Amino acid sequence: MNLAWKEMKKSKTKFVILGSIVFLISLLTFIISGLANGLSQDNAALIKNLPDGAIYMETAAEETHALSAIDMETQQAVLLEKDGAFAFSIQMGFLLNEQDEQQSVAFVTSTSSAEFPDVSKDEIILDRSLEEQGIKQGDTFTNSQFNGEFTVAGFSDGVKYSHAPVAFVHPNNYAEMYRTEDLQMLFVPEAAGLEAIAGLQSFSVDEFLNTLPSYSAEQLSLSMIVWFLVVISGMLFAIFFYMMNIQKFGLYGILKAIGVKTGALFRMIWVQMLVITAIALTLAIVLSQVFEILAPSGMPFYLPISTTLQLSAVFFAIGFAGATLSGFQIRKAQPLQAIQQGEG
Amino acid sequence: MIFSTSNIKKNFTTGEVSEEILKGIDLTLAEGEITALVGSSGSGKSTLLTIAAGLQTPSSGEIHFDGQDLGALSPEKTRQIRAESFGFVFQSSHLVPFLTAEEQLLLMLETAGSPLSTKQQRQEVEKILDEVGMGHRKSAYPASMSGGEKQRIAIARAIVHQPKILFADEPTASLDSTKSREVMELLQKLTKTLNIATLMVTHEEDLLTYADRVLTMKDGRLA
Repeated sequence: MNLAWKEMKKSKTKFVILGSIVFLISLLTFIISGLANGLSQDNAALIKNLPDGAIYMETAAEETHALSAIDMETQQAVLLEKDGAFAFSIQMGFLLNEQDEQQSVAFVTSTSSAEFPDVSKDEIILDRSLEEQGIKQGDTFTNSQFNGEFTVAGFSDGVKYSHAPVAFVHPNNYAEMYRTEDLQMLFVPEAAGLEAIAGLQSFSVDEFLNTLPSYSAEQLSLSMIVWFLVVISGMLFAIFFYMMNIQKFGLYGILKAIGVKTGALFRMIWVQMLVITAIALTLAIVLSQVFEILAPSGMPFYLPISTTLQLSAVFFAIGFAGATLSGFQIRKAQPLQAIQQGEG
Repeated sequence: MIFSTSNIKKNFTTGEVSEEILKGIDLTLAEGEITALVGSSGSGKSTLLTIAAGLQTPSSGEIHFDGQDLGALSPEKTRQIRAESFGFVFQSSHLVPFLTAEEQLLLMLETAGSPLSTKQQRQEVEKILDEVGMGHRKSAYPASMSGGEKQRIAIARAIVHQPKILFADEPTASLDSTKSREVMELLQKLTKTLNIATLMVTHEEDLLTYADRVLTMKDGRLA
């Protein structure tokens, strides 16, 4: 007899309330994770979206890309030798529109690459978020360090750096603005082979991100928030399923007294835990994904389905542990003791 | 004798104080007989019944059922004996709240490993429910039953798998005198017709007329 299912069918309201708690806790965790990931993406999507590979900068720059300048000879040698490699630079700056209103951006320029868009001279390609703010193709902008005018040639998706939208510019325009022909960094895809290059220091994408002071400090705080939330939610899950069964000690005592096998009691505990958790987590995953679609465009929110599945697996495991722990308590108790505790 | 206990003792320890509730009980039960256990409150009669029924373990002593020493058996074997050969009627019926009357009995048959087919099990359950006068309430949940109805279902659950021993702990405690007599007549009938050895704890002297033997407990001993 499927005792777990019969109890859930008879006590629908009770189990719906229990499931709602699991749903709300998991939804909260998913949303906060999405916001934290969103902030992280907002800070470094430009770099995070690069494929696996290495970023090289000048050793003398001591891990500060703004101080790095790779000489043209080295740059040419690497670009010739490594398929898919490209050189690039990033500098924070601003654009002025026709009404002299400032728009903070991260100027990025690069040699021809598959990862960054090719930009013609005196044109810029902006992050899509600026289009959502009302900037249109053909709009013009100036910059105090640049004598000409930039014309918006198009928009690119998900390119942010240091919480600012990226503006891709032509290398010549970049050279004029920042008075340097040398680019700061080289990117070499993993497939092209990663070797040491004299005078340059190599970083994986994650290592490079950690050289950015604003990113690493922010990431520490965000990671702490998310992990505290995951740990506390996990503990709540475990306590929740433990208490749910301990409260039914009397019932399990009766079932033990009439001779129901301990295995059947464990099955009852596990089935209820799994059904409640599966339904609650499925709803939370669906709702969090809907939220990602409907979230206001200005709100940094990034929640890949893989993240929700990983968190769900953690919740399942912890919930299972809590439920199993209560099962051991029930198994240990003599039937009469369980009945009396249930009555007490 | 199908069931006997030998020198059963039970101590309860609270903090540093240990109290001996049962002081060496020898008890025998015979098939087709109701043995009533009476005594003042705190005399140890319910403790003896629950130990005999395997719902808690004694501090020392032996319990023999059908030639086997229950204390020497594994917990799984004890559970199996409890499921197949023992029936219980508790003071308050202790039905499973989310099962209908019919399901309570079906669960008991399943737990006892009944060899009957599902259809035969349902027929058997219907027969027993009719016997205890609850055939018309087979789809009712405990929450919608009166105290007397619950106790009748508890008795039906206790005997549906045709146990060899029936343990009843004050089975009429929550009933009025008319209902109490009805329940006792039912217990008496089932004990005789199914040839069950019934051990019943009661403090109601009126009900002793239904018993074949009356044992009195005083201060943890059988008088």
